[in-house]
This record gives sequence, structure tokens and C-alpha cells, in this order.
Amino acid sequence: MRKFVINVNGKSYEVEVEEISDGAPVAAPVSRPKVYDSAPKPASAPKTAPAPKAAPAAVPASATPVSAPMPGTILSVNVKVGDTVKEGDVVCILEAMKMENEIMAPKGGKVVAVNVSNGTSVNSGDVLVAIE
Amino acid sequence: MSTMDKLYDLQHRRSIIEQGGGSERIKKQHDSGKLTARERIHLLMDEGSFIEVDAFVKHRATEFDMPNTEAPGEGVVTGYGTVDGRLVFVYAQDFTVLGGSLGEMHAKKICKVMDMAMKMGAPIIGINDSGGARIQEGIDALSGFGEIFYRNTLASGVIPQISIIMGPCAGGAVYSPAITDFIFMVDKTSQMFITGPQVIKAVTGEDVTFEELGGAMTHNSKSGVAHFISANDQECIQKVKELLSYLPSNNLEDAPAYDTNDDLNRLSEKLSSIVPDDSNKAYDMKEVIAEVVDNGEFFEVQPHFAMNIIVGFARMNGRTVGIIANQPKYLAGALDVDSSDKAARFIRFCDCFNIPLITFTDVPGYLPGVSQEHAGIIRHGAKLLYAYSEATVPKVNVIIRKAYGGAYIAMSSKHLGADAVFAWPTAEIAVMGPEGAANIIFRKEIANSADPIKTRTEKIQEYRDKFSNPYIAAARGYVDDVIEPDSTRPRIIAALEMLAGKRENRPAKKHGNIPV
Repeated sequence: MRKFVINVNGKSYEVEVEEISDGAPVAAPVSRPKVYDSAPKPASAPKTAPAPKAAPAAVPASATPVSAPMPGTILSVNVKVGDTVKEGDVVCILEAMKMENEIMAPKGGKVVAVNVSNGTSVNSGDVLVAIE
Repeated sequence: MSTMDKLYDLQHRRSIIEQGGGSERIKKQHDSGKLTARERIHLLMDEGSFIEVDAFVKHRATEFDMPNTEAPGEGVVTGYGTVDGRLVFVYAQDFTVLGGSLGEMHAKKICKVMDMAMKMGAPIIGINDSGGARIQEGIDALSGFGEIFYRNTLASGVIPQISIIMGPCAGGAVYSPAITDFIFMVDKTSQMFITGPQVIKAVTGEDVTFEELGGAMTHNSKSGVAHFISANDQECIQKVKELLSYLPSNNLEDAPAYDTNDDLNRLSEKLSSIVPDDSNKAYDMKEVIAEVVDNGEFFEVQPHFAMNIIVGFARMNGRTVGIIANQPKYLAGALDVDSSDKAARFIRFCDCFNIPLITFTDVPGYLPGVSQEHAGIIRHGAKLLYAYSEATVPKVNVIIRKAYGGAYIAMSSKHLGADAVFAWPTAEIAVMGPEGAANIIFRKEIANSADPIKTRTEKIQEYRDKFSNPYIAAARGYVDDVIEPDSTRPRIIAALEMLAGKRENRPAKKHGNIPV
């Protein structure tokens, strides 16, 4: 029996694998997957997901993009497409540098695009939300 | 000519010079929202105190149409006077005379008042409103610029040098303000750039407006070139006066002290609850500053640039202090390229002019990322360490909350020569955050655990309980005392009183080599 830690979409799984000799039909007792990451990311938004990258194209040119000021993880998104926000409203919380950073709307208006969801990893400059 | 006629002649000559470029151009200046050079000086100086120097200076250029060109006052008004009763020297370029262009004699007038300011040990204030070099004068104009830059450099650290940009300031002309200590700009009427929009369009094809390229807000928020922005000339000059009230006249004097009615033993209840229970939550560091300083008055420098660090002047028990503080509300208060530059320059100014440094620390670390590394965070971050280490003025640090890793060292730590380091009970002084540290130190325990998530959480808590507090650092003497937050003001004032006679001798050298 050997143990492996396998990373899938940013989640760590601990897997036990038993070598089967001579094709003997032994049921490998694969342990239940243990998730290491305490903040599991949704499978639809792995680090390499095209969503955040492709998003800028979906932002109308007239809209004001709200971008990530630093690299981190989205902890919560407080708005959805179609919502009306006022200047200074918190549109999402970005966890970065040991802090829950409130990302505020730079102006009032209607939310026309939301490119991130809870658990999305973002880099500086990535567009999180667009407001028109 | 009788004596009376000679007197009339003098008055006549003077009145022509005082008219500058004439009523039509003065009207144009007013219509574009700007005051004239003389109006600006009169606003700045105490009433009736301004004494003009070199009003009768004339250019001696002979090329092109210059022999027939009259330039009253040579396009710049120079002299001295008092602001709040204290001597200052001033020059103001006159845009109504040949567009305020700088020629040989124009520069000589400026150099003369600069030399006087240095000799007398009084601040020099330059009001810039000029189209640039007077091309007709060729390299004599260039020589003029060079002479000014040279004097700016010699005067640096000897007298406060303040630049006010109240019109165009383009090409080589920008480097005089750049060498000075503070740059004030007026919104919509002032610009600074090396090459203008037309040249940029021709060379790189980029379309950019004057305002976008080098307007007041651009330089106050993006480039960090300017320190203050004002809505108009009047407001700008008020701000200059306010800044002067915090500064000594030269490097051998102390800043003026004022009587304060704010009790030096005042306790602040508000500070006891200002730090949120959850250390991942932000608060406004400016509220901490306002609670601690005299009457809550804080004169912030560069409020729109690198907002993750706050710098500015205030008074403690009536005496000027320079304040440097991390702002958890912006970029989590992390140090990056711009904030390091901003703080380092401010610290060095204070050290030049005997202004004690008060630091409020809440720093999670240096900002990670490829862009920061490639922008030279190593080089820029080093300036902050250098500036704090180099400073020999009294240095007091209050660690409010986070003080992690290299950023802890950089923020006026005991190790860089801070004279007094206090910590609030909420302080977390450690080599790195509990999450990161637990992952490294307890890697094996976590990996081998039957329930890694639980083990990890436990280990994080274990690390937090053990190290995320001020007492480990206090046990080593890296923190002088852990203090009640409400007593921050009296404790800082007591430290400053104790440090008033501080003497520190360093090895003799020409100058250090700060990583610029």
C-alpha cells in the first residue's frame, strides 16, 4: 500500500494505492479523499480556469472595471449582474496579505459583469466586476 | 534732468516693470483661472513685507528679434519677505512676460535669491509658470537651468525648498522642482512633463491630453512626483503657508513650537477598541493618528499616492513630528515599491530638518507578485530600511497590530535604531503569519495526520497563541514596553521629551550611497 498526495484543481487529495500482483482481483481500498485545502475552490473555477482571463472581453467598453489591487482569493461576492450599487459599496471581499480587503465600487451604477465567485484566485489587475 | 524728474523717472520705470506683460496679458492670465506672479507673492507674504530684488535686470540677448524685445522684470519676480513673521525667499515666474520663458538673466535672478536663502538659512519658494527655455538665448538658457539645478542640490538638506507649479513646467524645467522637497500643483491649470503630448504623438503614436499626461492629479496619484493638489491658486498658497508652519527655517534650527491646549496626558478611550477583534479586518489608521496628535490636526503629505502608507506632519505637545503609518484599509497596508519610495523620502526630509519620527506599524509584509519583483521591490524596499537606519532624529515606533517578517524590520524596528518601540497588546510580531508559518513548521505533522485539516487548524492556532503577540519581542527587548492603547499619546510625548537631547555620532563620510 502506498500513499500519494494528488492535487486536482487546487485541491489536495490523499490517495492510497495498493499494488495488485498477477492480476489478482483485489479491490483496492481507496480511502475516502481527504481535502487539505480548508477553503475549497469550486471545481468550475480552478486556477487555470479561463473565466477570469476571458472575462474582460465580456465587459462593455463603456463600463468601469473594478480590478484586483493585489493578488489573493475572493472570499465573497456581494453583488450580481443587474444590481445597482452606490459609490463606496463593497462589491466583494478579497482575502490577501492576511487581511479581508473590502473592494469598493469606484462609482455608482449598474453591475454589468461579475467575473469571479467565492474562492477564485485573482492576480493584480484582474477585472472582478464591471459597473456601468 | 532735475532731481524731481529723476524721481518721476524711477517711478515710471518701476510701474512699467510692475505691469509685467501688460493689462491684456494679465487679463488672459486671470481668464485662465490663474493669478499673476505678483498677486501670488502678495498672497503668500505677510502684508507689506515683500521686498523685491533685481526688478531692473534686463536680458542681453542679441539673436533673432531679441534686441528689440522688452521683457519687464525678465519674466520673473524675485525677493524676500516674511510668512507668519518668518523670513522666506521667493521667486515667481511671470507668464505674461514672454511666457515666463527662462533665459540667462531670468536664471541669474533666481540664482541670486537662492544664494541669499542659503546664506541666511531661510526657506526658498519657487512659483513655476513658464513655457520653458527661451529658445532665442540658446545654450545660455540651458546654462541657466543647470545653475539652478546645481543650487537646488547644494541647498537640499540645508533649507526647505518648496516648488509651486501654477502653469506649465515642461522639459528640463521640471528638474528643479523634482530636486526640491515638496511640489504643490493646482488642479487643471498646472502641468509637468518632460516631453509634451505633441512629441509623444509623433514618436510613439500615443494620444494623450495635457491633463492626463502631466496634470496635477496625475502627478499626485500616479507618478508620485507632486505632493499636494489644490483647486486654485489661493487654496494652494494657503497650503504652502500651513506646511511652512511645521518646518524649521534651516537644518540647524528646530521647527517652531506652538502653545497647545491639548493636554499632553490626554487618554483616548477610542483607541482601546479601534483594532477589530478579528485581525483580518481593516480599520482606518488615520483615526489612530487623529486621536494621538495635538487637536487631531494632521497635515498629510502625498495623500493620493501609495495610500498603503500614510506620511505627514503633526504636532505633539506643540512640537512638529513626522508621522509614518501603514494603512490597513489600502492594499492591507502591505509595503510595495511606491509606498517604500514615498516613506523613505519623507523620512529623509524629517531627518534633514531635525523633525522626530513617529511610526505606527500595522504591516502584513511586502506585497508579493511578479510585477512588484520586476519593478524592483528589492531596490525600492531597501530605501525604506536605509532611510530609517540613516535617520538620527528621535525615532519612536508604536506597533499597533501586524509586524511580520522583513516588513517588521523595515518599519522603524529596534534593530534599525529606533529609540523607543512600544507595542499595543493587539500586536502580532513574528517572522511570518500563523497560516504560512504553520504550513512550514508543521508540514510533516499535517501531512501524516489522519485529519490534516483539523491538524492544520490546530497548529495554526498553536502558532498564533505562541507567537502572534508582542511578548516574545518584548522578552528580547526588541519592544521596550507593551502599553495600553489609550495611553499612546502620553507615552509618545514622554518618549519625545526624554529624547529631546539625543546625540548620535556616525562615522565621518562624504555621504552614503542610498539605493536610488
